[in-house]
Amino acid sequence: MNDQPEPAVKPSRQDLLEQLESAHQRLAEAHKMASIGRLSAGIVHEINTPIGSIFSNNEVILRSLEVLKKLLAESCAASVAPSQEAMEIIETMATLAAVDKIACERISGVIRSLKTFSRVDDRDIRKACLEGIIRNTLKLTGTIFRRRIAVETHFEELPEIECYPGLLNQVFANLLVNAGQAIEGEGKITVTTRRENDFVHVSIADTGKGIKPEDRGRIFARGFTTKPIGEGTGLGLAITREIVEDTHGGSIDFESEPGMGTTFHVRLPITQTRKSSPAS
Amino acid sequence: MDKNEQPAVMIVDDEEMVITSIRAFLRLETEYAVHGFTSPEDAARQLETNPVDVIVTDYLMPKMNGIQLLGKAKNLQPEAARVLLTGHADKQSAIQAINEIGLYQYLEKPWDNAQLLLVIQGAIERTRLLRTLRDKISELDAAHSNLKDVQTRLLRAFL
Repeated sequence: MNDQPEPAVKPSRQDLLEQLESAHQRLAEAHKMASIGRLSAGIVHEINTPIGSIFSNNEVILRSLEVLKKLLAESCAASVAPSQEAMEIIETMATLAAVDKIACERISGVIRSLKTFSRVDDRDIRKACLEGIIRNTLKLTGTIFRRRIAVETHFEELPEIECYPGLLNQVFANLLVNAGQAIEGEGKITVTTRRENDFVHVSIADTGKGIKPEDRGRIFARGFTTKPIGEGTGLGLAITREIVEDTHGGSIDFESEPGMGTTFHVRLPITQTRKSSPAS
Repeated sequence: MDKNEQPAVMIVDDEEMVITSIRAFLRLETEYAVHGFTSPEDAARQLETNPVDVIVTDYLMPKMNGIQLLGKAKNLQPEAARVLLTGHADKQSAIQAINEIGLYQYLEKPWDNAQLLLVIQGAIERTRLLRTLRDKISELDAAHSNLKDVQTRLLRAFL
């Protein structure tokens, strides 16, 4: 019998790379979930208003039907036309039914955007409409700041681009949430898209506080954040850069003026030459 | 405001659907006059001239938030009860500001009609009592200064 311990099998370089890639992927997923968590407060608010209306309207319509039934019975018994009061109740019920429809559309719109944003089956590279991705993300991020920040969009007609749409959702959500958080009080976010030869160029400009010169070299580093605890993970821009540059072969840069605002520029190739799996 | 006058409720929310729903509910269940505003600035202007018994407002609205509106209401009509009806997202910031403006009640969306009605009824009663109290205090003040006058005159007459 041999008492010597089995020599540990040294993991190969390939194994280590795969482990690292898998850890990156889990980190990106965790960050995406954290983004949804941060958006959830806005989403809850966005949904609670129409739900409140629907509940209230339902009660009012049921009570109105009782009153209406009584009024119509009285009119029938007296063989007269329905009273003015009965007609007004019918009118109110029609108004409330119309409000319910708008409320349901609002809720289903938010749920649809959330479903698109959070889908995990969108891992394959495919042709997608960039404008659609940005608009969807704007719907969700807008729930957090739509009352204090105006959003202006200038979308040029663009060809579909080969990309990982699920990952690009995350890129634009990060940049839009950052833009919203940089604005104290009221302000504006301007999103512009245009074609530049074989690339599409997306710029997201805010009228926020800007990035301090001493922070500019570090904003894409993992773990760097200027946000208070609970507001930022320090991973957002690092993951954004990886998705844009490493996964899509694009580029990201920014210009910033303290007190005036920041503009991020994302350039993505229309066609992918590398058909690899996503890096994160 | 005469205490026999029809109670006036002001509803402020930038979502028209909230105003429509609450107005329909209050019209069905009560005899209150309901004044709805989607713009808090318009609501504040209205408060300068028209007395109300209770103001129910959303928190997150463009240009002026619910706390700012209620702050103005406190200056313009101190007795009118102030109610915040708000979504979950702004709960923390709303709670922080509650002490500053002396809120009568804080309600969350989605709201319950029965609870909303109870709050509004209680608020109206409180407002009316406060106004009666203010009138009585003015009457007492007037009577007190009258008595002081009489006393001064008496002292002058006899001393």
